[in-house]
Amino acid sequence: MKKRVVLGIRACTWVWLIMMSLTLVTYLIGQFGLGGLSASLTVLGFALLKGQMVGDYFMGLKRIQGFWRWPVSLWLFIPGGLVGIAFTLVG
Amino acid sequence: MQTQVVVESDRYPPGDLAIWIFILAELAAFGAFFGAYAFTRMKNVEMFNHYQSMLDSDAALINTFALITSSYFVVRAVASIRDNNNQGCVRWLLAALVMGAIFLIVKSQEYAHHINEGITLSTNTFYMFYLSLTFFHFMHVIMGMVILAAVAVKAKRGGYSSQQHTGVETGASYWHMVDLVWLILFPLVYVMR
Repeated sequence: MKKRVVLGIRACTWVWLIMMSLTLVTYLIGQFGLGGLSASLTVLGFALLKGQMVGDYFMGLKRIQGFWRWPVSLWLFIPGGLVGIAFTLVG
Repeated sequence: MQTQVVVESDRYPPGDLAIWIFILAELAAFGAFFGAYAFTRMKNVEMFNHYQSMLDSDAALINTFALITSSYFVVRAVASIRDNNNQGCVRWLLAALVMGAIFLIVKSQEYAHHINEGITLSTNTFYMFYLSLTFFHFMHVIMGMVILAAVAVKAKRGGYSSQQHTGVETGASYWHMVDLVWLILFPLVYVMR
């Protein structure tokens, strides 16, 4: 039997677990009072990675070709980049 | 019997294309808000850091877990309807709604705490951003829950099938957008300093 599975549930389950883990690490970074540029950029990187995972796997954009593959990634890149620049400028 | 997984490419995202135009508009608004927060913070770093440390990061952690999990449940709901499993779709949507309700309850408690402390939009620049950003997102969570509830009711009545389930995908896409925004909002407002 050939079954079309557009979204791999197993992949999405792993993505969910990875996102929960990254969230916990982000929280712990805050709880331990880790501030400064490197901690901020690490946390921002985790957030952008999680956002890309939501777009690729949960929204299903990984299998899209053409224009609609990119808006979510672009959205993460532009505001994420601006936030990164603003935090870098103040050190 | 062997099940093969075939991942096909499409030109358009799941759901109604109109919701994607709406999603892009919403993301642009939140993106502008995030940029404004970060650049305003540059002139008031100490003040932003001080008031940020007074926020309830435990509540934010619970809320982030709730939204990520609700998004995963919505993925399962879409997978169920693609398998022609209406009841499964309804159950996963209800589970996602429970997670959404947890978010609203926890966030409401945070707001109640701020109100009791006399904190308003005009208290200072940090709270102006914090309250506007999170409340704007809060309203989107409510909107997303209304959409998911409407989809669940229609699914319960057998309104979708493996062949026709654009409504489920449309509601799911909106809900994932709500999750996506929170994933950036959480570290930006509660953690990064």
